[in-house]
Amino acid sequence: MRALLRADFTTLWRNRRSFRLVLLVPIVIVISWKGLVDKLGGPAVLATGITIGLISIGLLGYSNSIARDRDKGIFQRLRVGPVSSWTIMMSRIIVQIAMVLMMTLSVFAAGNLVDKITLTPLGYVYGFFISVIGGALYLSLGQMIVGWIKNPETVNSTTRMVYFFFIMIGMFAEFGALGEQIGHMVKWSPYGVVNKILAASLNPATWSTQTTMALLAAIGYTIVFAVIGIKWFKWDTK
Amino acid sequence: MNEQQLIILEVDRLSVSYGAFQAVKDVSFHVQAGEIFGFLGPNGAGKTSTLSAVEGLLKPQSGRISVAGFNLHEKPLHARANMGVQLQSTSFQAELTVSEIIRLFAGIYGLNLSKEEVAAKLTEISLADSAEKRFGQLSGGQQQRVSLMIATIHNPRLVLLDEPTTGLDPQSRRQLWERIEAIRAQGDGVLLTTHSMEEAEAVCDRIAIVDHGRIIAIDTPEALIAQHRNDPDVISVSRKGKITLEDVFIGLTGRAVRS
Repeated sequence: MRALLRADFTTLWRNRRSFRLVLLVPIVIVISWKGLVDKLGGPAVLATGITIGLISIGLLGYSNSIARDRDKGIFQRLRVGPVSSWTIMMSRIIVQIAMVLMMTLSVFAAGNLVDKITLTPLGYVYGFFISVIGGALYLSLGQMIVGWIKNPETVNSTTRMVYFFFIMIGMFAEFGALGEQIGHMVKWSPYGVVNKILAASLNPATWSTQTTMALLAAIGYTIVFAVIGIKWFKWDTK
Repeated sequence: MNEQQLIILEVDRLSVSYGAFQAVKDVSFHVQAGEIFGFLGPNGAGKTSTLSAVEGLLKPQSGRISVAGFNLHEKPLHARANMGVQLQSTSFQAELTVSEIIRLFAGIYGLNLSKEEVAAKLTEISLADSAEKRFGQLSGGQQQRVSLMIATIHNPRLVLLDEPTTGLDPQSRRQLWERIEAIRAQGDGVLLTTHSMEEAEAVCDRIAIVDHGRIIAIDTPEALIAQHRNDPDVISVSRKGKITLEDVFIGLTGRAVRS
C-alpha cells in the first residue's frame, strides 16, 4: 500500500496543473460571490464552493484518471502483482480524499482572506468531515460512470456534461430561477443534499432534522452509486 | 525429484469462456524449473486467455492452476508473489520516472530499494543514465529491458513473458534472449508466448502449439519437427526444402489468416 500511495501521490503532484484547475473553479466562485455573503450567508457561499470542488474532483479528476489508466493497462500491470484489487483502488481513493481536504482548505482560506468569512472552530472541523462525506458521494458517482462506460473519451465527455449539468441546474435552482418544483428536486439531488449538509456543518447551530435527512440521502446516494460502480467495473477495456 | 524436474507451473484441465464462446478448452501443461516453455498459436487461438488465467487476470470456467505449489484460486497473492509478469503491452504511469516505477514495483513485492540499489539495477540493464527519464521517453528495446527487469525484480520462480520481443531490432532481441536464458540458468521457469518461430526454436526447451483453444502438439522443437517431417500438410507449406518449426506450425494450424 505504501508503494502504491507514494506512486499515486507522485502522479498527483506531477499533474498539479490539472489539480490547480480543480481548485480554481470553487475559489473563483467563493471570490466572485463576495457580494452575496450578506444575502446568502458565509457558510452557504463556502458550501457552494466546496460542493462544486467536490464535483470537479469526483467527476473530472477521479473518473478520468481511472478511465485513462484502465485504457493504458496500468491496472492490469499492477494486478498481476501480489496486491489485491481493493488495495489498488483504496490507494487511488485516499489520494482523492487528500485532494478533497486540500480543496476544502483552499476554499476556507479564500473565504477568509477575500470574503472575510470566519467560522467557529467546530464549523471548520465539521466542514472537513462533511466535505469527505460529500466527496465520497461524487467519487462513487465517478465510479459509476467508469463502471458503465469503458472508452476514456466517452467518460471524459460524459463527466463534463454531468459536471456542467450539476453546476448550472444546482446554482440556478439555488437562486430560485427554475421554479418551485425543480427547486425541490434539486434540493434532494446529489448537488442539493451535499450543499445542504455542508452549509449546516459550517454553522452547526443550524443543523436540523431536514439536514439529517439530507445526510442520510447523501449516504444513500453514495451506497447506490458505489454498488453499481463496483459491480459493473471492468479492470480492462477489452 | 531434483531441481530440474521441479514443477513451477502446473495448469490442469483449464477452460476459459467469454459468454457462450469457449476460448480455452481443457488445456493441461506444466513448466519445470530451469525450463523455457513456449506457448505458440495463431491469433485468437487461446494463448492470451490461457496466460491471463495464469496471471490471475481472468477467472477460468474450470481447471486448476498452481504456481510454485500455491493454488492460484485458493492462495492468489502467494501464487502471484512467486511469478513475474511482462505483459504484451506494458504501460506504466506516464508521470513517473523509470526509477520511481522500479521502486513502486519493488515495493509491491515487499522490497524497499535504496537509490543506490535502483541505480545498480539500471546499470545491470545498461540504463544507468535513464533513471530520471519517463518510461515513454525510452526506446522500444529499453522499455522491454526495464519491463523484464521489473518482472524479475523479486527473483520469482516463474516468469511469464507475453510476446516480449515484438517490435525489437535484432540486437535488442538477441540481448533479451540472453536475459531470458539467464533466468533459466538460475533454475527458474519461463512461460513465453511468441509469434516468432525463430525465437521459439532459439530459446524454448519445450513448445505447446495451441489452436481453437486446445493444445494440438507439445514437445521439444526438434522432436516436433521430427514427428511431423513426413506430414503432407507440413511438407505442402515447406518453402526452403527443409522442414522448419514454422512449417510444422502452419501445417498443424492451417494457412488461413486469423483475425
